[in-house]
Amino acid sequence: MIFAGIDVGSLTAKAVLLRDGRVIAWHVEPVQATPAQSAGRVLEAALAKARVRRADLARVCATGYGRHELPFADLERSEISCHGLGTFTSNPAVRSVIDIGGQDCKVVVLDAAGLVDDFAMNDKCAAGTGRTLELLARTLGLPLGELGPRALRSRRALPVSNKCSIFMELDVMQWMHQGRRVEDIARGITASVARRVAALAGKVTLRPGVCISGGVSKNAAVVRELEAALGVRFVPLSHDPQVMGALGAACFARLEHGRARQEDRRVQEAGDPSEPMAAGPADAAPACPGCTGGSP
Amino acid sequence: MSVFSELRRLAEVPRNERLAAAARAGRPVIGHFCSYVPEELLHAAGAVPYRMRAVGSCGTALGDTYFSSANCSFVRRVMDQGLRGELDFLDGIVFMNGCDHNRRLYDNWRHAAPDTGFSYLLFVPHAGSPACLAQLRLELVKLAGFLGERLGVEVTDDRLRASIELYDRRRRLLRELAELRRAPAPPVTGTEFLALMLAVTAVPPEDAVDLIERALGEARAGRAPVGTPRLRIFVTGSCLEELSHLELVESHGALVVADAICLGARTFDRDVGADGDPLDALARRYLGRVSCPRMMDDVKGRMAYTLEAVRAYAADAVILEKLEFCSMMSGENYIATHELAKAGIPALALTRELYGGEVGQLKTRLQAFYEKLGNRS
Repeated sequence: MIFAGIDVGSLTAKAVLLRDGRVIAWHVEPVQATPAQSAGRVLEAALAKARVRRADLARVCATGYGRHELPFADLERSEISCHGLGTFTSNPAVRSVIDIGGQDCKVVVLDAAGLVDDFAMNDKCAAGTGRTLELLARTLGLPLGELGPRALRSRRALPVSNKCSIFMELDVMQWMHQGRRVEDIARGITASVARRVAALAGKVTLRPGVCISGGVSKNAAVVRELEAALGVRFVPLSHDPQVMGALGAACFARLEHGRARQEDRRVQEAGDPSEPMAAGPADAAPACPGCTGGSP
Repeated sequence: MSVFSELRRLAEVPRNERLAAAARAGRPVIGHFCSYVPEELLHAAGAVPYRMRAVGSCGTALGDTYFSSANCSFVRRVMDQGLRGELDFLDGIVFMNGCDHNRRLYDNWRHAAPDTGFSYLLFVPHAGSPACLAQLRLELVKLAGFLGERLGVEVTDDRLRASIELYDRRRRLLRELAELRRAPAPPVTGTEFLALMLAVTAVPPEDAVDLIERALGEARAGRAPVGTPRLRIFVTGSCLEELSHLELVESHGALVVADAICLGARTFDRDVGADGDPLDALARRYLGRVSCPRMMDDVKGRMAYTLEAVRAYAADAVILEKLEFCSMMSGENYIATHELAKAGIPALALTRELYGGEVGQLKTRLQAFYEKLGNRS
């Protein structure tokens, strides 16, 4: 039985397919004009990788900012819950999640079942998110993927404001006009983003077993600065940290399927106790048991 | 047609035909800010009190010429409406020192001088001590004198008692309707109740009484618009007038069953009473009812009110509403969040701009909060 999770964010759309609790395919690509288009494309790409058809899907769960707009989704969950369950599924030691996405940042604290116990989310300001890094990398004349490696080569971070992305850009331009090293400016940027995220993390009580997810987790310099600011080492995740929301959504699809099957069975037993409905594999476990690989 | 449809229509427009009819009959329409302005006094002077709001506002472009972007979006929007001539149906406005932003609205209004009649600033003390009560009474005497002279109607004790009786009746009816929300399947949603509050503070109080009685009649007839909600929510905060925002709060099976907001409990909590000197009674009621964070000596009283209402209305959680840059609610929310945590009551603090969009982020916060509550049940 196959379950799909689709995460349509502000910059990228992600899809994950689960079979028997294992990831059998995933796909990430930039968002299209509408959430439905984005979701359709990533889902089809993931289905093609797994060589299965849409009709083979038992349930589809949507998350991310486009979650309300997907006509083919059977259910939707907030990205906060999905990043929680996705990272927990990827590593059951996870109890706290720092998720830095394209336009927002969340800190999620989990219970022992991978469900949300507490959370904090940035306000409307985009400082401290992927959008800011994208903007400032462009200002520095670097491809986004170069920002982290260049920052790691710096010996001294130049101070960059973390109030707002426009003020950050003004600081960056000032250092550029003074001819300062790109590496030191880049490190100033990543340190600034990390300070901002660390301040948000201070709004909740982190539990040991902290991980980082979202697209910004691919920036090694931000990860290093954030680990230093929080005084932790992030626990590893078994899959691409950018697809944790979609993975969590797929897990919720699976949980919902099990819950619905149990409900059907309960109703049937109440109506005709002599003919109980056979239990399917998805309703055998009350919680998503996690997955151990299966990356395409 | 259900009276709730009529109430919704009245709530969604800045001016209405009932107000226009009163004006044609020669009754001045006087705007007032804040639930600390005694409407009874304006009514006793022959006026129709109109609770100021930003309903129908198209933005802050003109308002921003007087305020900075770090001012509250309510005052910026109202200033904008005033400058655009959208409030020219008013014959005067009683401002109040509710907060610094509101206080400066008065200054800017006097400078810009939109065509809204007189501007008067009522000073209301920030505490409830005997000295503050005496000071408020003095301020009410001054306001009564000003209105009497300005509107040509002397505010006598008899006129004031009659107005108090009418407004007490409106308060009692509102409390009766609010009480019905204790039911497992409440007869009104939080959005409908807010629409009712917006409507009944924008029409003559005589009309308001009739509208609330009709709403009560429908509510008692077994109405239950959403059945039994999955989650019962208590809302507290300051300025909250956006029906669309409350609809967002009431998503995913949640229903607002009680509140402590300006256009809610703060308006109908506690009667003035007919006994004794009416100005004394007004001062006691307005400084004695459930307070807002502008009152500096009553944090415990507000928390006690919230805890009791959460219990009485069987609320599952509290949502703390704040407009961006509202310093009073920032402090209040910090305290309330910790006090509610100590009491084991889940709480979510939301910050927004009035009619400011940001629906996506608010939806995510609310949905995650409700999912978290669902995980615990």
